[in-house]
Amino acid sequence: MENLDAARLQMAFTLIFHIVFACIGMVMPFFMVVSHYKWLKTKDKIYLTLTKAWQKGVAIFFVTGAVSGTALSFELGLLWPEFMKHAGPIIGMPFSLEGAAFFVEALALGFYLYGWNKLPEKFHWFTGVIIGISGVASGILVVAANGWMNAPSGFDYIDGEFLNIDPIKAMLNPAWFTQALHMTLAAFTATGFAVAGIHAYQVYKGRRVELHKKAFKIAITFGAIAAILQPISGDISAKDIAERQPVKLAAMEAHYNTEKGAPLYIGGIVDTEHQEVKYKIAIPGMLSFLAFGDFDAEVKGLNDFPEDERPNVSIVHYAFQVMVGIGTLLLFAGVLYFVSLKKKKWFTTNKYWLLFVMLAPMGFIALEAGWIVTEVGRQPWIIHKVMRTKDAVTPMPGIVFSFYTYVAVYTILSVAVTWLMLRQIRVLNSSN
Amino acid sequence: MLYVVLFFLIFSLYLYVVLGGADYGAGIVELFSSEENQKITKKTIYRVMGPVWEANHIWIIILIVILWVAFPVYYNIMVVNLHIPLTIVLLGVTLRGVAFVFRHYDAVIDNSQKLYDTMFKISSLITPIFLGMVFGGLISGKIKVVDDVTTLTFYEAFVAPWFNIFSILIGLFFASLCAFLSSVLLIGESEKENIYIRKAGIATIIVFAIGLLTFIYGYSYDYIFVHDFIKNPYSITAMLFSGLLLIPLWITIKKGRRILSRFFAGLQVFLILLAALLAHFPGIILLDEGSVSILENIAPDSVIKVLGITLIIGGTVILPGLFHLLKSFKMIKILEQNNNPSI
Repeated sequence: MENLDAARLQMAFTLIFHIVFACIGMVMPFFMVVSHYKWLKTKDKIYLTLTKAWQKGVAIFFVTGAVSGTALSFELGLLWPEFMKHAGPIIGMPFSLEGAAFFVEALALGFYLYGWNKLPEKFHWFTGVIIGISGVASGILVVAANGWMNAPSGFDYIDGEFLNIDPIKAMLNPAWFTQALHMTLAAFTATGFAVAGIHAYQVYKGRRVELHKKAFKIAITFGAIAAILQPISGDISAKDIAERQPVKLAAMEAHYNTEKGAPLYIGGIVDTEHQEVKYKIAIPGMLSFLAFGDFDAEVKGLNDFPEDERPNVSIVHYAFQVMVGIGTLLLFAGVLYFVSLKKKKWFTTNKYWLLFVMLAPMGFIALEAGWIVTEVGRQPWIIHKVMRTKDAVTPMPGIVFSFYTYVAVYTILSVAVTWLMLRQIRVLNSSN
Repeated sequence: MLYVVLFFLIFSLYLYVVLGGADYGAGIVELFSSEENQKITKKTIYRVMGPVWEANHIWIIILIVILWVAFPVYYNIMVVNLHIPLTIVLLGVTLRGVAFVFRHYDAVIDNSQKLYDTMFKISSLITPIFLGMVFGGLISGKIKVVDDVTTLTFYEAFVAPWFNIFSILIGLFFASLCAFLSSVLLIGESEKENIYIRKAGIATIIVFAIGLLTFIYGYSYDYIFVHDFIKNPYSITAMLFSGLLLIPLWITIKKGRRILSRFFAGLQVFLILLAALLAHFPGIILLDEGSVSILENIAPDSVIKVLGITLIIGGTVILPGLFHLLKSFKMIKILEQNNNPSI
């Protein structure tokens, strides 16, 4: 395996792992404080049990997210030293703020986990809120740094040198808002459906039904609202990409030839040799409309770009289809949940619970697919139109060994964390 | 503003060495304890470190971010030439963090605890050794900076700087320093005080012995760092003071003044760190030819300015919170003892 490929795979693998844990660690505190709030209000013991169960989950996921995040902060440099040498100073601002936000989160977590019966009730609850807010702030800041790679700004690139650096302008790059909004909603959707799915399974199996129903409701409310809002954010993102990274949009749609009134492809198999998409459903003019708000607008095709500036079309196209497909599915599931609040009978049917069990992993699959779209879609650039990924990679050979080590360690960790969660649930169900 | 950034760089390095170090040390102390004492230590570590250990380890992230933002050339040399030990450190940090949570948050207490304990103890020892080796690598004078790394052999470029007796000695020195810090900390926290007093004593002797050995070895094999260290009046003075502080440290320990004894131990480590940084200042990375100055090769002014402001704002938010956290839980412990021992 080439060093560059190994480095890219290692980065992808560790990010895929980190994103799951970071999202859960960022969103679950909100579930926890809602449950905690209900306990303080109603003094219903079930909410206390639930809060404490979720807090263990938060602790485990926070740490896994934190250590994998620490690893990533080093990996940026270990794998892409040339990139960090130039980009580090420019995008340092969101990273240093992220460090501060993360610190606040860790402090708040310390207060929250160890503060039961020790801190004043309301203050203790409030430290839980701080965990959630600073977690979301960390997420937004990191995404802002990624946004800069897609929309480099805040510097002048003259003769291979980065001059006149403006770190604030770099942080507030044109992509930061659309990406941060899309990712925050995605995190709530994915975690909401995942946690709800786990509790739905317990209800389906008839274990501590009252508790798990309450847990389900809290988690799915967050997930459903986020899923319903997500298409709006997706639309903003699409229009943004159409303008800034037309080649990425073309790859997402496997759109080879520039045309007016471009159709939107749903599904299909990409044939890169003949430059076409087979077995697709085409909606005429829809791509033009989604990208530019005009059914007749011209959408640039891949052939308008030099061959060495195009990403891998198949990967980006399939990932995009998966993301949008699942996103739509979860939107309907979200609506279904709100309808079910009126039709209480549904809560007693097994099919209802089984549906949400099946949806549990979907949000995360869509979220990872979305990151594949944005990251693979940016290739061959590490900094869009400024630095190529192959020029940024470490000169140290043999990264493939480091890659295998990470795969082994992180796979074991994932299994271990899953196993630990199963044990938590089992104990929760057997205690009363 | 550069000095604000430099201050925060050294400040977070120091806090990581002291707080993170005491944290690693706890695992080392546990590793070298009898089975019965291991159980006691495990409980004490959880009570003392539990609320703060995550915060302790964030200092390294702050440190690394300051390095890459403000001192990109420095950071670049580190991540390229010391890739291997840094990767081992990261794996150690990961396994250790995970083991810590697993052993305290696993809902079922069974044989898997043994696995978590072993993972925790071993990674607590390995990680600081390799962290020390990274620092050792930076000052070993074996790093070669060339335009094209392919002109060097793999060994020369990526192994020789850290995999040598001098760097390994520095690694062992740092690990023993961690054990020392942790023993002093635990003295004040345990009901059975005696075991940690003895351990602090042993750790002091080991720190001294390895330190001396490092000097003798470095001196006889002509390591520039050691020669400069001995010639530098500030470094030598700081080192001597650090040694002299052992006297008040032991007096305060004997008298049971736990806060004061921690203060002295922290001060000792500060002086050791200061001595090491000053030895060749401002050149902190020593190459096979010359050194890389930390006052040159810095990011543009606009970057330093914004970073400085960010750090000041971040510091004013974080530090009071951190002190409050440390204070609250210490007070809680005293409250528990006085009022309600059953909670």
